[in-house]
Amino acid sequence: MRRLLLALAMFCGLAVAGAAAAHEVRPAYLEIDQTGPGVYQAIWKQPTMGDVAIHLVPHLSNGWLEETPVDQYAADGFLIRRWVIRSAKASPLDGQTVSIEGLADTITDVFVRVRLQDQTGLDTIVRPEAPQARLALSKGAPTTVPAFLLLGIEHILTGPDHLLFVLGLLLIVRDRWSLLKTVSAFTLAHSLTLAAATLGHIQLSTPVLNALIALSILFVAPEAIRAQRGEESLTTRYPWVVAFAFGLLHGMGFANGLSTLGLDKGALLAALVLFNIGVEIGQLAFIAVVLALRRAFRLMAIEWARPMALIPSYAIGALGAMWTIQYAAIVFGAT
Amino acid sequence: MAGGALRIAAVAIGLAALPAIAHAHLVVTGMGPIYDGIDHFGLSPEDSIPVVALALFAGLRGPATARLLLAALPLAWLAGGMIAFSGAAAPAIGLSVATAVAFVVLGGLLAANAPLPPVVSVAAAAALGLVRGFADLSGTPFSGGHLLTLAGMGASVFVVFALAASLTLPLKRFWMIVAVRVGGSWLAALGLLLAGWVWRYGARAF
Repeated sequence: MRRLLLALAMFCGLAVAGAAAAHEVRPAYLEIDQTGPGVYQAIWKQPTMGDVAIHLVPHLSNGWLEETPVDQYAADGFLIRRWVIRSAKASPLDGQTVSIEGLADTITDVFVRVRLQDQTGLDTIVRPEAPQARLALSKGAPTTVPAFLLLGIEHILTGPDHLLFVLGLLLIVRDRWSLLKTVSAFTLAHSLTLAAATLGHIQLSTPVLNALIALSILFVAPEAIRAQRGEESLTTRYPWVVAFAFGLLHGMGFANGLSTLGLDKGALLAALVLFNIGVEIGQLAFIAVVLALRRAFRLMAIEWARPMALIPSYAIGALGAMWTIQYAAIVFGAT
Repeated sequence: MAGGALRIAAVAIGLAALPAIAHAHLVVTGMGPIYDGIDHFGLSPEDSIPVVALALFAGLRGPATARLLLAALPLAWLAGGMIAFSGAAAPAIGLSVATAVAFVVLGGLLAANAPLPPVVSVAAAAALGLVRGFADLSGTPFSGGHLLTLAGMGASVFVVFALAASLTLPLKRFWMIVAVRVGGSWLAALGLLLAGWVWRYGARAF
């Protein structure tokens, strides 16, 4: 029976892994700054894997980005292009449309930032499902708050690795007090490293970080099985310690969503706070759904047979193992 | 007179059914097929509203009914999707009528808090799951990605059903139960409105 269960969990893992590859999606970035009267600078920054860049081409409806860039180079896993444009028009960007060719075929986002000399501008996110955005600069207030908040919520809810780790923790904790301590410890830890990594104080290469995050998922699965069997271990007694330790890693993973944008320090601090709040909202929403589901099963008087109850833990373990092997292979250059 | 009207209705529906075959319009989120399935369910009121209505009804009827339907509905949804993958086609008007009927029947059941035998409740859930699972994926070729989309839909059905049933399972106060049943009557009325819409516009109704 256990072998059958393991096979089922592995099958689920294999089926899901292809679609929900661990969370390494880095956003692209388009910044347009007015650097002087009638002078604009546009910077396009898109992620690359080694020498390979996914097909993403930014377009602006006034044709500015169709001109030859003054700079084009690759650095730190990014392809960077820069344009300098001169325009005599009063507000040449207002009402124009940014569209990103190829975005619809990806799972990445593009953060668009416009800053004019009078300190007005806007921030917006262009997503694969709607790969264009209109620059409504005359409306006034920039939309920074919802943009970064939504980016944070989206980042965690579309990150199966983070969610599986949190699910593993929820399977381990036994009472409300323990749940509160564990969730708080995870939040505190990932907030610390999210801030430190985003501000550039700590750094870990993306493949190594992904391998370590996958390892944390692989670690938490057997502990969840142990907890469900009523066995004792350091993790089942002090789940908040594990949550804190691995939360430090997951925070650096969250930082990938922000630090790669290349925002200036002033903007980065506000973005960091909003992004972190977004991550917390997403995380709490996920925890609320899991707890509500657990309550629903209790109200329905569902008594899962032991092998059935262990399927989520085995599935978490299978995915954790698969991602660990995948990323370890990348780290050690086997692929 | 009534018989004549029925015959005219049958002919009109039959004629409208001939040219149009239903094709699903899957949501593409850009976040992968599982999320596509979850989003499709969340963004399709013709999917989510009947599921919530059935779950509220199951909750009112007690834990045993809720457990049965929690198993039957997602499985039937998956089965409906698999039938669609096999290339089977259905007229668009048929699916529109089925949607209106689902609203009327499930709204009526909820409003009446009808004490159905378990087998009838399971049959209702299976019918809903088969029709909506089929409608969601009709015209979609089989592929690994679409299979994961179907899995995302099935998981959403399971979770939403469980959460909605847990809202009515603990209800004891008379006025709360009445409030839920009033909601059922509104849903039935909405179903009648949809039926009129289908009658008026045929396959173009949805």
